[in-house]
Amino acid sequence: MSDTNRNRLMLVIAIVMAAIYLFPLYWMFITALKSGSEMFATPPSFWPSEPQWATYAFVWESRGMGRYLWNSLVIAFGSVTLITVLGVGCAYVLARYRNVWVDIGLFLILMLQVLPASLMITPIFVGFSQLGMLNYPRLAVIIAIAAKSMPFFVVLVRATFMAVPQELEEAALVDGNSRVGAFFNIVLPLARNGILVSAILIFMQAFGEFVYSKSIIQAVELQPASVGLNSFMGPNTNEWNNIMAYATIYVTPILAIFVLLQRRIVSGLTSGAIK
Amino acid sequence: MKRLLSSIRDGNGFDIVLVAFPLGFLFLMAGLPLLYNILMSFQEVDMFSLGTFLRPFVGFKNYQDLFSQPETWPILGNTAIFVTGSIAGQFLIGFGLALFFWVNFPGASWLRGLFLVSWVMPGLVVGAIWNWILSGDFGVLNFMLRETGIISGNIFWRSDPNYSLYAVIIANIWLGTAFNMILLSVGLASIPGDLYEAAELDGANAWQRFWTITLPMMRSTIGAIVSLGLIFTLQQFDLFAAITSGGPNNSSNVTQYWAWDLSFRQYDFAKGATISVIMIVFVMFASVVYVRSTRHEVRG
Repeated sequence: MSDTNRNRLMLVIAIVMAAIYLFPLYWMFITALKSGSEMFATPPSFWPSEPQWATYAFVWESRGMGRYLWNSLVIAFGSVTLITVLGVGCAYVLARYRNVWVDIGLFLILMLQVLPASLMITPIFVGFSQLGMLNYPRLAVIIAIAAKSMPFFVVLVRATFMAVPQELEEAALVDGNSRVGAFFNIVLPLARNGILVSAILIFMQAFGEFVYSKSIIQAVELQPASVGLNSFMGPNTNEWNNIMAYATIYVTPILAIFVLLQRRIVSGLTSGAIK
Repeated sequence: MKRLLSSIRDGNGFDIVLVAFPLGFLFLMAGLPLLYNILMSFQEVDMFSLGTFLRPFVGFKNYQDLFSQPETWPILGNTAIFVTGSIAGQFLIGFGLALFFWVNFPGASWLRGLFLVSWVMPGLVVGAIWNWILSGDFGVLNFMLRETGIISGNIFWRSDPNYSLYAVIIANIWLGTAFNMILLSVGLASIPGDLYEAAELDGANAWQRFWTITLPMMRSTIGAIVSLGLIFTLQQFDLFAAITSGGPNNSSNVTQYWAWDLSFRQYDFAKGATISVIMIVFVMFASVVYVRSTRHEVRG
């Protein structure tokens, strides 16, 4: 078999496998467009006979999705900002030196990265309630998410700083820059892309965060979209087309960001997680 | 004072300032809760003593109570099944896909990256989709299994105690496979190609090359990925909340969901803390393995 033919065959198989793997996503989009009776048809239809576009507007209105998504955005932006401000400097120092203290710091950070949120929420909740933080539930969630996700961010960004040649910074210091100046004028601009990709990864995580928000935020008007979706899905629900419409509205921005920046996100992720 | 300022602007003080704030923040928000968790597991905590630190100490009573409860061992068993099932599925499918995409063809890396959407989606959304796919009477999975003749009657994935845990495992395998595949691909790409050329000259067939070159060269990557898989499956909470809520009758309950359920559904914070302490010890053990295997790789 010639090379081109082999390549074509491989590509076809790959597309089929991707299609099988991504079928749940397709099913979400399709179900959202089905009518109430078509949804429960046997055999199920794999293409909606009459797409119900009005479902989206109906769900958006009746579930108050604007408010939920706004809260998700507030929480995601808040935690990304906090993590970036604190984490970038930490990653820079951990990348710049190589000694026992840095090894210990890295080890502690990796340890913190692995603590499951659903196990940490008990002491965090009790502690926050004693400090009166539960009166500012969204801020409390932002802080909790920042503590959870910052280790991951530091590990990723550290890999970026490692790739910046140290000679450049030394040259800037010889030219009369202070450490602060060299950091902000030379090192930070060179690492900008890596920081941005890591921040986007953190953003996507925080945008879908559930455990902390569910446990800490009691007031419905402050809850993010993940908690809203959870309360939409009662135990005996049969509004699956509406729920899938909700899910579609919720994930489409994330999917769009991911597909646009896919290459960068994948390479940023792999550089940090293994090395 | 002046020397301090100039050190911060132009000396080691700069590094110390940069590191002190994040580490202090992490200590306050992750380290202290960890210690507080251990403290609470030895105390009697209820709704009335929630606001004070000085609660009555009860020694190991929480631990004893926990292990005398009838549901404890089944839930620990479920956790073991959930972890092994998820990791085995994610790893085997992920490795298969990674080997397939290792054969370079145009579009391979883009298509491979596309798989990762399962990993970037919010866990609640993944859970909602699988909840609908796995539904008993109208679920599309039951339909496909019926059509292909694998089953004759519908399986009630979410409400049948024999299947509810596997419903969550299936969703979790789907969620994690792509991440496994991407990391395994990185490991595969770092194996030097001339090893295979040499083996081929010596007459080794594809099967022998896989067992004698690919697997041994991937050892540290595989170690890292399996321990990462353990860490991620023990963090999995959203799928349980979205698909079965641990039910019916705890048949799909696992420790990380149970700990939350004890604290926030039954308001038994002491027991929640106790379970957390036990599980965190497990997770820490996994992360030591992970750190060791990644370090091994850096040293080569």
